[in-house]
Amino acid sequence: MTISPDQIVLWAWGPLHLNATVAWTWAIMALITLVCWGVSRRLASGPELSRWQNALEVLVTGLRDQIRDVSQQEPGQYLPFVGTLFVFIAVSNLLTLVPFYLPPTGSLSTTTALALCVLIAVPLYGIIHRGPLGYLRHYIEPTPLMLPFNLIGELSRTLALAVRLYGNIMSGTVIVGILLSLTPFFFPIVMQLLGLLTGMIQAYIFAVLAMVYIASASSANRAADQGSDQQGKQQSDQQGKQQDDQQSDQQDHQQSDQAPEQTDRSTQA
Amino acid sequence: MQIDWLTVAAQVVNFLILVYLLKRFLYQPVTAAMARREQRVEDRLQQSREREAQAEHERERLHQRLEQLEQQRDKLMQEAREQAEQERQQLLDEARDEREASRQRWQQQAEDEKDRFLEGLRRETAAGFEQLARKALTDLADVELEAQMVHQLIARLDALDEDMRQQLAGASASEQVQINTRFALAESQRRQLTETIQQQLGEQREVAYQESSQLLCGIELRVGGQRLGWTLADYLDRFEERLDNAIGATPA
Repeated sequence: MTISPDQIVLWAWGPLHLNATVAWTWAIMALITLVCWGVSRRLASGPELSRWQNALEVLVTGLRDQIRDVSQQEPGQYLPFVGTLFVFIAVSNLLTLVPFYLPPTGSLSTTTALALCVLIAVPLYGIIHRGPLGYLRHYIEPTPLMLPFNLIGELSRTLALAVRLYGNIMSGTVIVGILLSLTPFFFPIVMQLLGLLTGMIQAYIFAVLAMVYIASASSANRAADQGSDQQGKQQSDQQGKQQDDQQSDQQDHQQSDQAPEQTDRSTQA
Repeated sequence: MQIDWLTVAAQVVNFLILVYLLKRFLYQPVTAAMARREQRVEDRLQQSREREAQAEHERERLHQRLEQLEQQRDKLMQEAREQAEQERQQLLDEARDEREASRQRWQQQAEDEKDRFLEGLRRETAAGFEQLARKALTDLADVELEAQMVHQLIARLDALDEDMRQQLAGASASEQVQINTRFALAESQRRQLTETIQQQLGEQREVAYQESSQLLCGIELRVGGQRLGWTLADYLDRFEERLDNAIGATPA
């Protein structure tokens, strides 16, 4: 029984081979990009929205709210990375309804790749926010004795990220496969519905955990931001909630303008 | 563990490409569209706030204008009412005056007419009465009556007071005394009268006798400018004079 799409090789040329994981990943990427491109071509800024634009706005707004809640910071710079994690994992898990589809997230290679991205993004965001020394210092806090544990924690949580997602999705696929051979009617559908729920929850968990790790790495900056945020909140409480939203949105736009450079740096690294 | 490191590398690259693509086609456009919409909403709100303020201002201005107009209207109405009242009062006064004047005029006319009518009536009555009396006395007059009158004249000459006698005597001693009668006097009467005259006014006096129908009945003595007599014409003239006086003195 095939439990990983990695093992399905579609095309091979020397040491290079194209397996189902990469192929379905490309398909998912193409699907997401096409939908986004098609919708964003005709974005309306008036009160009349198309159904698709409305859905995308709900998605983006929800992601921003989640990032803001978790990080207590403006979401602009984290949105592309964390948002893409969520969107990619969610879409690839939701498509399990399609017959003959094998989710790339059911491959340990894919989840490892995503976890490695998180592993690299965490120190990158930390260094951007706190500087190299400031970031490295958090490994020897509260005492230098904690350095090995901090390093182990860093690695183990990355491993946990990868294995958690892989285990959940793979198990869902495997359970449906086993049930199909035992009770081919009705019950596998229930498990597939359960798999949809599990897939969405796993996408959410992966994205939120990534955000938590990144936010904790830039905690010094966050503390400073919190201080200024509290002052800002006190002022904005006096000025009213509406103005508060406007201010935060403006900051958000400014930071989202800066965010691409930072993420570009992370990708280059 | 089933990790294909080549696939891992490919997936890392795929993921980074997807990050770029989503940033390019999802996050940036959608965020920008939302920002534009928020800006538009904010602009609309700002516009509507401005319009509201403007409308409030305009409302206030119109309200004030309306109040001004109402005050002006009330004032004009009050003035017009007062003016109309004055006019009415004036017209009423004029009408009352005119009515009073015309009533007085009419009354005056009526009074005048009544007076004229009454006066004419009086005069006609008096004239008729006088004519009637004159005719009656003329009819009654005769020699006998005139004889009685001669007696009366003689009695009056006898009873003449000194002043009157002096006047008659002093007029002119040489002047003739003329006696006028309606009817011719009997000789005895003439003699008696002549004697009485000469006795009172002087012995040398000449007495001339003449008959005049104008006396109706009676006798008169004329010497110089003086006259003494007793005639019905005198009575009637005096009666007429008194009647005229009485009519003239009657209040209108």
